[in-house]
Amino acid sequence: MSRVSVPCHVKGTVALQVGDVRTSQGRPGVLVIDVTFPSVAPFELQEIMFKNYYTAFLSIRVRQHTSTHTPAKWVTCLRDYCLMPDPHSEEGAQEYVSLFKHQSPSMTFPKWLSHPVPCDQSAPLIEGLPEPSRVSSEVQQMWALTEMIRASHTSTRIGRFDVDGCYDLNLLSYT
Amino acid sequence: MLQEESDLSLVIAQIVQKLKGSNLYAQLERQAWASLQRPEIKLESLKEDIKEFFKLSGWEKKLQNAVYSELNVFPLPSHPAAPPEHLKEPLVYMRKAQGSWEKRILKSLNSMCTELSIPLARKRPVGEQKELLNKWNEMGTDEPDLSLFRPVYAPKDFLEVLINLRNPNYENGDSLSFRTHLGLIQVPLKVKGIPELKEFFVELGLTTGQLGIDDSTQVPPELFENEHVRIGQKVLAEQDSAAAQQYIRQGSPTALRAELWALILNISSQPEDILYYEQLKTNVIQHDLLVDSLIYKDVKLTASNDDYYFVFEDYLYQVLLCFSRDTSVLGHFAYNSASPPKSYIRGKLGLEEYAVFYPPNVAPLCFLYHEPSKLYQIFREMYVRFFFRLHSISSHPSGIVSLCLLFETLLQTYLPQLFYHLREIGAQPLRISFKWMVRAFSGYLATDQLLLLWDRILGYNSLEILAVLAAAVFAFRAVNLMEVTSLAAAEAVLADLSTLKVMPLLQIFLFATVT
Repeated sequence: MSRVSVPCHVKGTVALQVGDVRTSQGRPGVLVIDVTFPSVAPFELQEIMFKNYYTAFLSIRVRQHTSTHTPAKWVTCLRDYCLMPDPHSEEGAQEYVSLFKHQSPSMTFPKWLSHPVPCDQSAPLIEGLPEPSRVSSEVQQMWALTEMIRASHTSTRIGRFDVDGCYDLNLLSYT
Repeated sequence: MLQEESDLSLVIAQIVQKLKGSNLYAQLERQAWASLQRPEIKLESLKEDIKEFFKLSGWEKKLQNAVYSELNVFPLPSHPAAPPEHLKEPLVYMRKAQGSWEKRILKSLNSMCTELSIPLARKRPVGEQKELLNKWNEMGTDEPDLSLFRPVYAPKDFLEVLINLRNPNYENGDSLSFRTHLGLIQVPLKVKGIPELKEFFVELGLTTGQLGIDDSTQVPPELFENEHVRIGQKVLAEQDSAAAQQYIRQGSPTALRAELWALILNISSQPEDILYYEQLKTNVIQHDLLVDSLIYKDVKLTASNDDYYFVFEDYLYQVLLCFSRDTSVLGHFAYNSASPPKSYIRGKLGLEEYAVFYPPNVAPLCFLYHEPSKLYQIFREMYVRFFFRLHSISSHPSGIVSLCLLFETLLQTYLPQLFYHLREIGAQPLRISFKWMVRAFSGYLATDQLLLLWDRILGYNSLEILAVLAAAVFAFRAVNLMEVTSLAAAEAVLADLSTLKVMPLLQIFLFATVT
């Protein structure tokens, strides 16, 4: 199951602000980023991945074309998804985030992406530990991972080094 | 659901890969092969029988301890797109600050080298090697000329760097506003408040028995101490790391401490470990590093003059000199925001050198461990798990920046008058408490108290207790501090901590202070 990244065009941010944008009296708290997809073929989106920079909450809206006759309409896929649990502190401020397609029936969309995540999504809490035998069978199923482990070397270091038998050092490098 | 399962599988895969190169893996393999001889192992149910054998013979427990140890030490794998620097430290401005700080240290070392015309590293001539080997156990008697060596940096230099840390995305403004922090640290890291600390340190509460409080001479031992010792012996018999970590939150009996710490840190003295230590010793004999002289100087200035620690001077040299050559320590740089300096050998960029660190806290460990290779292992593990965070700039909750902010926030919130008064007289509290925290209170508290404190560091797998203790000390001496009118006078009030009992202070501050 190979994954391919879809080329997209991310426009600059636009502040949602009442009044003249140029007056810097109040800093806007909401910014909008438009994402368009220049490719023509329909695709099934699995994951949106980005690096956060001090955004606390994220909403995603999608313009869907259901058929050629009805006009396109805006659908909210994600509302106020929390990226920073405490916006006044650094938690989550510069984290890498992935948003996945849920197990809802998928539809392909011609030009605009769709992210059919239920609106009332909240991060499910892990109630208890998963069953060990189930977990271990899943690990075995992820054969790609185990293959990788077998093929790769262990990360344990062997020991000391000796380069050309010489150990005379005079300067530490800055880079 | 899918996300959590794949996260878990990723963690498992990471731990498997890490353990595969370990000694334990080889031992388990050998044991599995040997077990085939046993009558209860049947070919039809081979996997189950071997698993049962491991369970009964205690090998499963050893594996559990190793996994638990890995989970404690290594951070959970982050997003697959995150580069390795992100795992060391997610905030870019902190990484940059750490990089600049390291450059400063390297510049200082390099200039020391060129000024004194001393190489960073050189191979010792054979005669010198023989001499060092002969006096390995009494290096303290040596009196080399160290007058030209200056310390690379002092704690207050490091504090200045931390004070100047700024988040470029945080609007502070130059003028004082409600958004400016009143303390010295200006970065908005998340720190726990007292309600959260009460929950986190729940075993230190008033209704739970503690060593350091409930074992004092006035309390009959039947009430708590005897039972606690009995449980400790049981934990050691079971050889369960997780249980030991939970147990030690209430303190460790002196007689059991060495073994308990070794169990929690998952250190067993195998012949390979002793061999490894001997190998490091050989490295010390064969090569002379500039940093050795710095270590000598530091030990001479500190531990040798200390009433309690001077007896261990020789041990300290043995451990620290070996530590500075231990390349296995390089593994911890995956989650340490610092990076080891590199050097050029004959024009080729290559060998990763020793870690540049502020000489860490070896001396108290000498009270617990007498055998050099065991002492060395414990010290190394304590360093790569905890103490390195006191010397590098990061946003980790146990990092020195968070500890400083936690201290200042606690003081400001719960002793606002004292905080304001000290600030007014030019005695910012952090300037006094920083040196305690950066050394994990070693050299300031009485040894038995220090060991009780370090029990809790191990038990809670966090250094936050250092900041809480620092605030508790200020709370304890608040009355005297309110009367002082200068920084020097404030320092004098807090100069001598050797009579303090840490557990009552912590308990009162967390659980018995009226807010």
